[in-house]
Amino acid sequence: MSDDRPVKLTVTHRFKASAERVFDAWLNPVKARCWLFVTAPEKPLVRAEINARPGGRFCFADLRDGEAVEHVGEYLEVDRPRRLVFTFGVPKYSPDYDRVTVDIVPEGEGCVLTLTHEMGPEGEKWKDSTEKGWSKMLVGLDTWLYEAPATAQ
Amino acid sequence: MRTPATPNHLDQTLLALADPTRRAILQRLAAGELRVTELAQPFAMSLNAVSKHIRVLERAKLVRRRREGREHLLSFTPKPMDEAARWMEAQRASWTSRLQALDDLLQAEDRAAAASAPPHPKGRLR
Repeated sequence: MSDDRPVKLTVTHRFKASAERVFDAWLNPVKARCWLFVTAPEKPLVRAEINARPGGRFCFADLRDGEAVEHVGEYLEVDRPRRLVFTFGVPKYSPDYDRVTVDIVPEGEGCVLTLTHEMGPEGEKWKDSTEKGWSKMLVGLDTWLYEAPATAQ
Repeated sequence: MRTPATPNHLDQTLLALADPTRRAILQRLAAGELRVTELAQPFAMSLNAVSKHIRVLERAKLVRRRREGREHLLSFTPKPMDEAARWMEAQRASWTSRLQALDDLLQAEDRAAAASAPPHPKGRLR
């Protein structure tokens, strides 16, 4: 699995619950199906299968227009309660797999969760990219385009 | 969350932006329309090599070409980048709402535990 995903985004959330409880909610099928990959609150997942070990796979399915759509992936790191890394994709729509890293740091009685979602085509196609950080430009496009003077290298 | 609308053209946009020369081309075009020769001039590469980069940008619809007599004029079209940025924002928003749903779920568990064990709820919960 390549580390060179071009696009990276990060989301942080502070929980009152302990790091262990937050971590476990990712891997407990009964809990995970209530919130993870749920597209609409009134539409719970129809299936949630989790094999929570490195190399283990998961499959969540939700219903879209009466058809079950699977979200599948593989756990790459399972380090309770600090870190969870997994790939995920929706084969119905794209052959690409994104990568999600969940870092949990205890804070007081609660914890802070930082989620990093890396996506986009991976591998060979990106070899000519010399700056990894360019993806951030996508978020601040205007600044990037109109600010820096054009350099020709 | 991937949707049927996400895949291909986003890849095209990212692929086009993944090269420093192509980004420099876009930055120059962002300042205004240019002839191909004007655009190629500051780059330390052949016109042919620059043209290849331009074609990648055209394929991604980031650059539009129009002809005026014998001149080819290039301009920047921001729509694909706006779409890519919007798509990323949508991804971020969906993670934010999932994490909020997780938070709600855990707090509901706390409330249920507090309700079923009223005598000593403190210390054990939260």
